[in-house]
Amino acid sequence: MTHILNIKDLYKNFGKETILKNINLSLEKNTVLSLLGSSGSGKTTLLKIIAGLESEDKGELLLNGKNLANKKPQQRNIVYLYQEALLFPHLNAFENIAFGLRLKKVDSKVIMEKVNHMLEHLDMARHAEKMPNQLSGGQRQRISFGRAMVIEPELLLLDEPFGALDAITRGKMQELFKDLAHKMHISALFVTHDLKEAIVMGDQIGKIQKGQLLQYATKKEFYKDEFSGVQKEIDFWKQINNN
Amino acid sequence: MIKKLLQYGFIVSIGFPVAFLLMLSLGRRWAYPNVLPEQMNFANWEFLQRSDSKLFQAFFVSLGISLCVAIFTTSIGFLISKLIAYSKNRNFYLVLAYIPYLLSPVIMAVIFQYYFIITGLTGTFLGVIIAQFLVAFPFGIIIYINFWNPQLKSIEELSYTLGGSRWQTFKKVLLPLSKNAIMLCFFQVFLISWFEYGLTNLIGSGKVRTLTVSVFNFVTEANIFYAALSCCLLILPPMLLLYINKRLIFFVEKTKIEP
Repeated sequence: MTHILNIKDLYKNFGKETILKNINLSLEKNTVLSLLGSSGSGKTTLLKIIAGLESEDKGELLLNGKNLANKKPQQRNIVYLYQEALLFPHLNAFENIAFGLRLKKVDSKVIMEKVNHMLEHLDMARHAEKMPNQLSGGQRQRISFGRAMVIEPELLLLDEPFGALDAITRGKMQELFKDLAHKMHISALFVTHDLKEAIVMGDQIGKIQKGQLLQYATKKEFYKDEFSGVQKEIDFWKQINNN
Repeated sequence: MIKKLLQYGFIVSIGFPVAFLLMLSLGRRWAYPNVLPEQMNFANWEFLQRSDSKLFQAFFVSLGISLCVAIFTTSIGFLISKLIAYSKNRNFYLVLAYIPYLLSPVIMAVIFQYYFIITGLTGTFLGVIIAQFLVAFPFGIIIYINFWNPQLKSIEELSYTLGGSRWQTFKKVLLPLSKNAIMLCFFQVFLISWFEYGLTNLIGSGKVRTLTVSVFNFVTEANIFYAALSCCLLILPPMLLLYINKRLIFFVEKTKIEP
């Protein structure tokens, strides 16, 4: 398999504090890598560096074999999605999804076709004319996904995108994302602090702790690692079951 | 009932001074103990047309100065406030922005005057604009500063990752979202400049006759009818702005962006 993203020996400091230390990561094409980490572990900084919103102090980033150094965020074809949907409040659902296509001056007919197709995919066709404040949290997040995916980015960076949703909506969104990622051949880095979500969402798993990253070759390897927290979780549910 | 009374009270408190000024501007010969002026006609308003009255000229000088100050402050303040809001020294710059209001504009004018004299700006239209800008600009920063927040920064960054250039992001994201803040800044600064007297009088040194300067001249001459007449001109633009402000600030957002 070919790698879409390669990171080699990446370092980042804020003042005297080291945020990321010797980060090495590789992501295969059309796969989702879950990055598990607690607050302040440096996972958001890592995503922002990949997106070009922060600069690295040292290291190399390659996207499809091409060096990303000195490339502006708008030249990278990498979309960064935040925990909040961050829909543009002055645009309706349709126009939010069409935003990236309009920036690229795509033909209006093509935009209409692509956006309507995306709305169908997201099961949001009947909400196309609604403004962001008329949509629920889950619906806003769907539109946010559509807005990112419609421009067919080479890489999608998701920073705890379901963190603000309730458990039921979160489950539905996880299913939707997995389905879309599979259908649209998406390569993504999915950051979460939730162990179960990391396992559900990722084809591969990595763990980021105190600025250092450990990428597991397979999910099995992750389950076997006594510090991954998986065994603890299993023991907990067994205990509940026995009681 | 109380709510209605308060509403009427508010309307009367706004409407009475305006109606009173209008009546005074139409009056002539108002001697004690008459309740109203002896004559009520448009003779004072004809004064506006006289070439030596210079009231119309003062009106347009004021309008020119206020528009320039409002446009410069609104546009430059928008850009600088963003740098300040995201700066590590945000609080320090904000303290600096409050200084003109702690000192008062007239004291600022006294401080500026020396530099304006040596640069030859005293008594000039440009000098008054620059002096007013120096006082209004920090106010513009104060108005804008809370508009730039972490969420807006994230929205701006999102636009970049979606492929938007700086100009596209400004035009399609920042500008539509900042419309209300921009209008608020423009209207507030226009009003500050429009009613400014002390600083304008000092830096203009009598050569730049704005409407407020004319009003004070008529008041000191004890010519209440002409003072009322120039006051009527003085309240025209603010009332127009108030109307536009009400129409535009609460407008329904457009839902479509232009390709």
